Amino acid sequence: MLRLAIRNVMRHRTRTALTLAAIVLGVAGLILAGGFVQDVYVQLGEATIHSQLGHLQIYRKGYYAQGSRKPIEFALTRPNDVLRQVRAHPAVQDAMLRLNFSGLLSNGRADLAIVGEGLQPDKEARLGSYITILRGRMLTDHDRFGMLVGEGVAKALKLSPGSRTTLVASTADGGLNSVDFEVLGIFRSFSKDYDNRAVRVPLAAAQELLATDVANAIVVLLDATPRTDQVKDELEHAFAERDIEIMSWHELSDFYEKTIALYKRQFGVLQFITLIMVILSVMNSVSMTTFERMGEFGTMRALGNRSRTVFRLVVLENVVIGLVGSTLGVAVGLLLAIVISGIGIPMPPPPNAESSYIASIRILPPVIGAAFLVGFIAAFLAAIWPAHRVAQIPLVDALRQNV
Amino acid sequence: MTVVRLESVSKEYRLGEANVTALRNINLNIEHGVFLAIAGPSGSGKSTLLNLIGCIDEPSSGKVYLNEHDVSGRSPDQLAQVRARSIGFIFQTFNLLPVLSAEENVEYPLLQLKELTRSERQERVRHYLKVVGLSDFAKHRPNQLSGGQRQRVAIARALAVHPKIILADEPTANLDHKTGGRILSLMRKINRRSGTTFVFSTHDQRVIDMADRRVDLADGEIVRLGIRTDHDWHFAAERVDDSDQADDTNEP
Repeated sequence: MLRLAIRNVMRHRTRTALTLAAIVLGVAGLILAGGFVQDVYVQLGEATIHSQLGHLQIYRKGYYAQGSRKPIEFALTRPNDVLRQVRAHPAVQDAMLRLNFSGLLSNGRADLAIVGEGLQPDKEARLGSYITILRGRMLTDHDRFGMLVGEGVAKALKLSPGSRTTLVASTADGGLNSVDFEVLGIFRSFSKDYDNRAVRVPLAAAQELLATDVANAIVVLLDATPRTDQVKDELEHAFAERDIEIMSWHELSDFYEKTIALYKRQFGVLQFITLIMVILSVMNSVSMTTFERMGEFGTMRALGNRSRTVFRLVVLENVVIGLVGSTLGVAVGLLLAIVISGIGIPMPPPPNAESSYIASIRILPPVIGAAFLVGFIAAFLAAIWPAHRVAQIPLVDALRQNV
Repeated sequence: MTVVRLESVSKEYRLGEANVTALRNINLNIEHGVFLAIAGPSGSGKSTLLNLIGCIDEPSSGKVYLNEHDVSGRSPDQLAQVRARSIGFIFQTFNLLPVLSAEENVEYPLLQLKELTRSERQERVRHYLKVVGLSDFAKHRPNQLSGGQRQRVAIARALAVHPKIILADEPTANLDHKTGGRILSLMRKINRRSGTTFVFSTHDQRVIDMADRRVDLADGEIVRLGIRTDHDWHFAAERVDDSDQADDTNEP
């Protein structure tokens, strides 16, 4: 019977081609759409990590919940000890310290409330694509009292590279302190809110301003994003004795989680529509080709085949078509994915960001597997109703279709 | 021996709003070994009658006996069994399975007969292709064969299951006169040689004249029954309500 089915499939070349085309297009479409969506997720994730979050951030316990108001109280004491231990982990590519503070930035005539970050400039540069320098240059480890200001900050205080500024903040023990800085560069990030408020200074300068030697956070960069959760567990285990909490990038990025949730819903709907279209077009061509052959199935039954046999034959034929079509669809999908990825899809900036990027099509086994199954199952399901019809239609009527 | 017996068989169709009576109160016995033509204009009920005999259709009322077994009220699967074992079909449109070669087409119905071994099947296929003179075309697909050759494959296919009766619905209608004549002669020869019962419908007088029995239908009723001796037909007028006479006429 399989032989007969395969021969029938081979013989009705145009009809088979019609059904095949529907399946191949559907499967390839699902692979492309799925791969593209996955790429968007990954790109967004990497963008988030490399903006400034890193893969993991290590704080003193309580900092994440309450620390933003009292950064000094919830700071890590002796941060370099922790830093050394973190760096010893083989999956850790780099780790760096940050100290956050808030204060007033003055250009001599006006003040602006800012959020400041004391950081290790060279390491941050390696981590991050988060900021782009619009004018001036990047901060380096050699600039002791250099400062980078956000685009919005520069505008508000009419700063340009070379401007002198004074930063005023309250120290760890409650006093007021001020330090003079030279503006080295003006940056733009993905987030306008950030650009309107942020300044970046070297860690040592920030510590001097606050009269302390602590840090708020250790930002950890790993060599592979998928290992994030595993490394987090291992580090948590290693620091179990200490008063420390570790957050992963996706826990930190509320924005990422929400964006993904939104995208998932949107793409989910689109994929569902694609799915329905694939199933409908496969059903359409399967029932067309099956009903056209009514007479042939009538002959089989007249020769003593049971309805069941005819039903099975039709289903089997379409299982064969489904397998071939899905395989072809996967091949076509992969080929297109590779070609399209090679060319790249220019994308507009993601929400709340200002840079566009080039998307590609990810080739992921689960997506391909799902697409294959969809093609196969669509062909199988599509066959059931027509197969039932041609098997059950009164034999007299079926035979009358022979011309 | 009676192969087929119809007892006051009627068949009605619903055609849209109207009820169409295709056959009305048919009583007919078909004896073993006859070469019987069902004659009549189109729409007279020839095909319906053949379909009822062949268990392709079921009567609205009355009973059909095959080999003295009542086949009414059987399940579709049981009827499929009856068709597989007892009836050979020859169609106006040949109805070969297009993807199978001539020999595979002949073998196809044999696959239903589980008691046959592979070699027995092949033996039968070889034998019946030889009977119809197509041994050299065993590997050909239907579309590589002429109309006459296709119909011969169909005849071999019908013969191969060793049926009680072979039913042929207008077997020559899609063939030219010469080829049709040859097909009829072949069927006739097989009928003579092996005693296989043939029933065929036709409206072609030359085809009718090759039969040894005829049943004339008009408007769903038997109008007369004929028996041929040499070249002359002897008719018995059929009265619808008189089944005895029908029996008498059909005795060989």
